[in-house]
Amino acid sequence: MSTHTYTTPPAANPHSKLRPARYWIAAVVAGVVVLALIVSSLLNYAYLDSIPARASLYGLLAVATIALGTFIGVRAFTRDRASRRKHLIRAGVLLGFGVLLWLLVIDVFVFTQSAGPAVAGICALACLPTTAFGLLVVRRMDRNEKEPWRLVLVAAAWGAIVATSLVIWGETLWDGTAQHTLVPGPGLDASVAFSAGLLEELAKGTAVVLLFLVMRDDFDDVVDGIVYGAAVGLGFNFLESVGYMTNLYSIFQPEGIGWAAAGFQWYGRQVLGLFFGHATYTAFIGAGLGIARQLPHPRQKALAILSGFLIAIAGHFAWDAWQTFFPIDGGVLGLLEIHLRTLIMTGPFTAALIALLLFGIRYEALGLVDQFRKEAASGSGTILMDEVPVLASPWQRLAQRLRAFTRGGFRAYFKVARLQSAQLDLAMERWHRERQEMETPMEAEDALRQRVRELRRAVAASQPVRLGR
Amino acid sequence: MYLLFLTTRGQSIRLCPAVSVAPYDQILTLYRTLLVFATVAVLILSVGLVEFVYFEPPGQTTGATAHILGVFEYDPATGTTRGPDRTTFARTDEFAAVVDWSQLPPDLVVDARWFNSFGNIVGKVGPATAADLGPQSTVPVIVPPGFHHSLPGHYSFVVERLKDGRPVEVLGRRIVLVER
Repeated sequence: MSTHTYTTPPAANPHSKLRPARYWIAAVVAGVVVLALIVSSLLNYAYLDSIPARASLYGLLAVATIALGTFIGVRAFTRDRASRRKHLIRAGVLLGFGVLLWLLVIDVFVFTQSAGPAVAGICALACLPTTAFGLLVVRRMDRNEKEPWRLVLVAAAWGAIVATSLVIWGETLWDGTAQHTLVPGPGLDASVAFSAGLLEELAKGTAVVLLFLVMRDDFDDVVDGIVYGAAVGLGFNFLESVGYMTNLYSIFQPEGIGWAAAGFQWYGRQVLGLFFGHATYTAFIGAGLGIARQLPHPRQKALAILSGFLIAIAGHFAWDAWQTFFPIDGGVLGLLEIHLRTLIMTGPFTAALIALLLFGIRYEALGLVDQFRKEAASGSGTILMDEVPVLASPWQRLAQRLRAFTRGGFRAYFKVARLQSAQLDLAMERWHRERQEMETPMEAEDALRQRVRELRRAVAASQPVRLGR
Repeated sequence: MYLLFLTTRGQSIRLCPAVSVAPYDQILTLYRTLLVFATVAVLILSVGLVEFVYFEPPGQTTGATAHILGVFEYDPATGTTRGPDRTTFARTDEFAAVVDWSQLPPDLVVDARWFNSFGNIVGKVGPATAADLGPQSTVPVIVPPGFHHSLPGHYSFVVERLKDGRPVEVLGRRIVLVER
């Protein structure tokens, strides 16, 4: 019986017999998301007499287009080379159309209403470099096998566009009802904080769950989960920052301090809170999913996923509900207090996440080194024994690439980089197989070996030196 | 089978069973760490719930209702209101709520407060008994120090019943919009 794989070259974990079931779950989740967006827009339009409500309704087409384009784009990379280009073009057109439509809706109806398109544009431009920096750092946290940019950006785009759209109606209805029924003060603050923690983390977490279900090949472990979760959080934080900055600008500009208010928001959300806020919370959801990916029993998997969501919701809730208990004075002392407040309230969550990340990186590294050795011992020629220490260390891998660069320039650098990447993919594949975390055909692993050999020949042809230390 | 560990001076001699132990999967360490964090998360959410119940205690409905006559434009020079009851105001407008305290039981301890869209108190009377508050029927919004006008956004006016110095029930509420 021949087992067919669609990937050229094959992904680390090609198609599994289990995959259709996961796709069905993903399809149901996606269907619920689209339904929620439609209901959200209709409810907003019917009950909220505001411009953003109309934006939400008009933005439905953009959201649907972006969702479809994203799906086709991500799936394109698992197609064979012949049809990949066609799918990528389709995805590109849909994404471009959707983004333009969305920006048009947002700019004209929301930010223009609040502070004008010029202010909205400046705020967005101010948030772009910091968010890009955040994504760069988050992606680089995975020292051994970096996630593809396309998936990191898809995660961030979901956080920015889809997750924010999902929470509009829920939060508006919840907060509106609370304001009309509860006693103002800590009780009301707690209620609003529950709504933000629950709804925003569920909306952001849906993106990570979908990645977990659909892109299992690129969702290896806790480290990957943290990367994707943080990327979703950074995307959400981007649009929320732009929204808050423009809103506060419009409120305070008549008093002559609009830019100061917007700048303060920018610093709080894009500098001080870049990694402490949404990125940390949603990364916990990713961590839960990543750990669930490698657990053997369904009950443990379910508990791990639930735990990730609970920690994210609790972290978000704690910040929103209790930050008022840390009053900020004016003047220089106030500046110090703002930093201390973030450090004291969100710092423990970020520290806990970093602990999971470091342990995850170490765990992944141990697993990979073990597989490097086993592959080298097998005599397949894909990994040589003296390459193991180099492949085991990100710094030595970099040094090896730099040596290649000094000998043969960028071309040689990237050839060695591709070889290292393929060797890491092979070790990751072996690791998952040994742990019985997939049911994929051996041909895929053999194809990976073939790819490593081809890359090794290409490197040797351009750089006749051994690749070890 | 038992292995005998012979030790140096000062150490004990003990027998321990040699058992074959399956290699410990470190993913379980991550899993258990996550469960510990989740337990802390449940505690945090529980504290939040307790906080909510403490500040929103159930069973505090007295049936009393404050009669808010309306929210009107306000003249700070004379301390009087003018014009019709309104739900929206311009930034430059000054406005105040007017409460008929006589509709409440005279010994009920109450206050009235204005909150801006940031949740800050921007005007209040009380706490005192409804009888004592009788003459203070007009509750204006105070422009925050350092500002020329009220900040835009939704403003909530609430008449609250207090118990042990803490608001426990909203007897009347009005929400108005200050336009940008």
